[in-house]
Formats: sequence, C-alpha cells, structure tokens
Amino acid sequence: MRRFRFGVTARIIAVLVVLGVAVFPLYWMFVTALSSNSDLFADQPRLTPDLGQFGVFVDALAEGKAAGWLLNSLIIAVGTMVVSVGLGIPLGYALSRFSFWGKAVVTVVLLFTQMLPEALMVVPLFALFRRFELLDSLTGLVLVNSAFVLPIVALILKGAIDGIPKELEEAARADGARPFTTLTRINVPLIAPSIAATAVIAFFHAWNEYVFAVTFIFNPDLQPASVGIANFIGELGTPIQTVMAVAFLFTLPAVAFYLLVQKYVVSGMTAGAVKG
Amino acid sequence: MTVVEQTGAPKTTPPGRARRRPSPLGSKWTPYLFLAPAALFILVFQAVPLLQEVYLSFTRTRLLNPTRSEWVGLDNFNRIFGDPEFHRTLLITVIYVITCVVVAIGAGLVVALLLNKKFRGRGVARALVTVPWAAPGIAVALIATWMLNAQYGIVNRFLDAVGLGVPGGAILDSPRYALPAVLATTIWQLFPFTSVVLLSALQSVPQDLNEAATVDGAGRWATFRAVTWQVIKPTVGLLALLMTIWSLRRFELIWLMTKGGPVGSTETLVIDLYSQAFDSKELGSAAAIGMVGVVISLIVIIGSRLVARAVEKGDVR
Repeated sequence: MRRFRFGVTARIIAVLVVLGVAVFPLYWMFVTALSSNSDLFADQPRLTPDLGQFGVFVDALAEGKAAGWLLNSLIIAVGTMVVSVGLGIPLGYALSRFSFWGKAVVTVVLLFTQMLPEALMVVPLFALFRRFELLDSLTGLVLVNSAFVLPIVALILKGAIDGIPKELEEAARADGARPFTTLTRINVPLIAPSIAATAVIAFFHAWNEYVFAVTFIFNPDLQPASVGIANFIGELGTPIQTVMAVAFLFTLPAVAFYLLVQKYVVSGMTAGAVKG
Repeated sequence: MTVVEQTGAPKTTPPGRARRRPSPLGSKWTPYLFLAPAALFILVFQAVPLLQEVYLSFTRTRLLNPTRSEWVGLDNFNRIFGDPEFHRTLLITVIYVITCVVVAIGAGLVVALLLNKKFRGRGVARALVTVPWAAPGIAVALIATWMLNAQYGIVNRFLDAVGLGVPGGAILDSPRYALPAVLATTIWQLFPFTSVVLLSALQSVPQDLNEAATVDGAGRWATFRAVTWQVIKPTVGLLALLMTIWSLRRFELIWLMTKGGPVGSTETLVIDLYSQAFDSKELGSAAAIGMVGVVISLIVIIGSRLVARAVEKGDVR
C-alpha cells in the first residue's frame, strides 16, 4: 500500500516535470517580453511576467516593422494553404479511388520528396525564380511552399478518402454524377476534418518557412516574420523585450491551431508516412 | 481502367440522363485530369530542380557565374571524400541523427507511458506536451539562443547557481557544448511528436494481456517486453525512420543557433552544403554534398523497408 502511494506521487511529479520542460521556453519568451530592463539584467531575474509591461506587445506592432512582417506571413500562408489543399484534394482522390498507369511512380515520388532538404533545392530554384521573375514576390513563395507541402497534404487526404465507403460514391454515380461532382459533393464534406488538418499543416508550413524566404526576398517590405525574427538573432540594436514580443505573437497562432487539430495532424502524418 | 461496380447499380444509363457520360468513372483519362495540376507543381518545383542539382554535382560552378559550368566528372566527390573536414561533417551528422532518433524516441516512450494511465487533467497534460512541436523552428532557435545567452541567459544563471556553470558561460561558442545544446533544443522540439504517436499506439495494447502476464507472475519489465513492446514495435520503427529523415534534412534550427560553428562542431551535411553554396560560392561541391545526404536518406529508407519485411516474415525478432 505504501509502495503504491509512492508510485502515484512519483508519477504526478514526473508528469509535472515533463510539462514544465515542455512549456517553460515559451513561458520564458512571454516573461522576457514583459520584463522591465532592471528585472532583465538584475542578479536575480524575475521569474513571473510583469503584466504592467503589457504595452510592449502594442508597441512591437505599432512601432517596428513587425505588423508588416506578420501580414506578409499571413498572405504567404493563406496562399499556400489554398493552393496546396486545392491541388491536394484531387491528387489524393486520384490516388485513392482510381487505378492507373504510373500510380506507383507518383506514390514513390510523393514519399521521396519528403527527404529533400530545402537547403539543397534553393540553388536551382533561385535560377528558376530569376528566369520567371518570381524573386522578390510573395507569389513565388506561395508557389514553392505549396509544392513542398503538397505531398504530405495529398497523402493525408488520400488516407482520409480511403476511409470512406465506396458505396456512397457509387450510388451518386449511378444517379449520373460526374467524378468531379462526386468528389466535391460526396467526399469533400465527409473528409472535412482531414481537410481542416491539412489546411493547418499547409498554413503553418508556409508561416514557419525560412530558407526560401531569406534567399528569394530582398525587399525589406516583403519580408515575412520568419526572416524578420531570424534577423534578430545575434543582432543587438532591438530591445530584447520587443524581440520576444514579436516572436511570441508569431508563435501563439501556430501553437493554438495545432492544439485544435493535433489529433488529425498526428494520425495523418503517420498514416501518410506508413501507407503512402 | 474503371472500377467494377459492386452494388448492382443499373449499368444502363437511366432515361433522361442520356447526355451524361456513359461510363460512371469517366474515361480512362479522368485520374490524370485529377492529378495533373499537382504533378505539374511537383515536376517544376521538385523534380526538375533535383535533376539540376544532380547535374551540378558533376560540374564546377561558381555562384557568381552560375550559367558557366564546367563538367568535371567525379572531381567534386573525390575532393570532398578526401577532405578531413568533410569526414568530421559526416561524423557530426551521424552523431546528431542517432542521438535525435534514440533520445527523442526514448523520451517520447517515457512520456507516453506516463500519460497512458488515467488521471485527472490528462487531457490538458497531453495538450500541453505537444506545445514544443507546434512552435515554429525560428521562434525555438530565438528563445534557445536567448536562454543560452552567456551573460543573461536563464540556463547559465541556473547552471551557475547549482555550481555546474560553463566557464565564461558561452555554451553556443564552445566547441564542446554547442552540439549538446543544439541536440537538446532539437529533441525538445521532437519529443512531443514521438510521445503523441506512441501514446496512440499504446492505446491498442490489450489490457487483459497485460493483466494476464502480471497474474502469471511476470515482472513489469518482462510484461513490457512480452506485451507492450510487441504491439508498439512497428510504430517505433516508423518513428525511427521519420526522425532519421527529418534530422538529416534539418537546417534552420542549427543554422540560426550556431551556423555550424564553433570551428565546425555543429556542422551537419545540410549546414555544410549551404555554406559551400553561399559562403564559399561553390555550387558544384555544395550539390555533391547534397547528393551524399540524399543517398544516405535513400539507403536508410530502402534499408528500413527491407528490415520491416524481414520482421514481417519473422526472420528477425
């Protein structure tokens, strides 16, 4: 009995330690943003946020370029989400419901692309972008980010469509519906949760993307937040509170949306990787 | 290439719909219409650039004059494999990847086992654990750099307080401690993913089998090996594959924390290829380094498939 109770306490402590490790860095980002200079450089740092400093978030958005960065990130992310899900739904449908010549090749290519590092592809893509005048344009980033997130989006949606009984579609087809109508009217509503999950994945893939953005964008007005924030690292001019405030505003939506759909994201990512 | 009807739906076109397509699945071109736009995207932005990289790896090409490349055959590969610095890069890559795989899966398994028991607030705990994985890599690199700051970083203050402080405190400037710090940051970001995936695998462990094993007098460890491990083994294999591929291609976290330094102590293949291309401006060698990484990934993928097949057949336990 004693041993049992000790086990429960140990488990609670272990869980709390794990949660502390998981959450502390982002908590610390928040605390740093809300620190006064004297707290920041004191011998004993203040471990709780000073809510009186809340204006730092307003100032970060109002004064610096942060609002513009976040807006650029938003445009790139929405564009990537629309393009990759828009292309991923028909691709996933084709892979799930049809057997056709070259299907195995398509599947292998989709899996293969997931091991290609962005840093490797950046050189030939730079040449391509220069030829098509896509350098210094948000459209260019939307296109390339869509291409990179498309395979995982398509594989997740294929898995979701695999899970829908074929009979539903066959009934619709018997009524004379064309394949495209069947897809939009029957399948799309049924896989709505998976579509939402892939939309979140695609959105934040583009929101977080750094390598292409830093290489293809020269105009500071077109910089997304990932590049703006990365430029803070090792730079000393901006107060650390402002830096952390911007980074926190950049991180918060990513964390919040992932928590909302994490169940679908996790099952989708593993399913996409296993079955292909 | 039409799918055989299974529901006994009428094969003849119903009256009044005579102008519709006769075949219920459309023509044999229908699947190609569905996948053509996506295929075009992947062709233009992935396949063609990759082939260009393959070509570049056999040439001498400078970043400043990229249209003039000179075919040099295997020179780039001969040079990098003869370079002791590249051997170090390979070694660091192997250390980085293996540590990520082992520790991320190990930590993930411990956390999954902790969260697998029912307790009040488990849902909240499970959600909070996923926070690191959801955080953008850029933000993680930034906060890690700040926490490891030599003068004011909370990590150094803590280490000093318990008497383990690094002399001078500059963890990321120390060839000895930079790699462990980068690894710790990487694993902090990875372990939520492994634990959530393993947690869902643990849900399919039959509880009565666990109980039966306990009743038969098997200890905890024996029960774990006989029951739980057998169920989650395929998931662990899959995670090992994913972690390997992700770690081989990870760039921004390492680049933003250390740029591969100090003195190359955190330089993995991808970091090396990026600095070859943009610092040394040698696109040919950069492409060759990239190809080494691609080939390693391919070997890992094919090897894991072979192992998985052998396990299915029962040759390997």
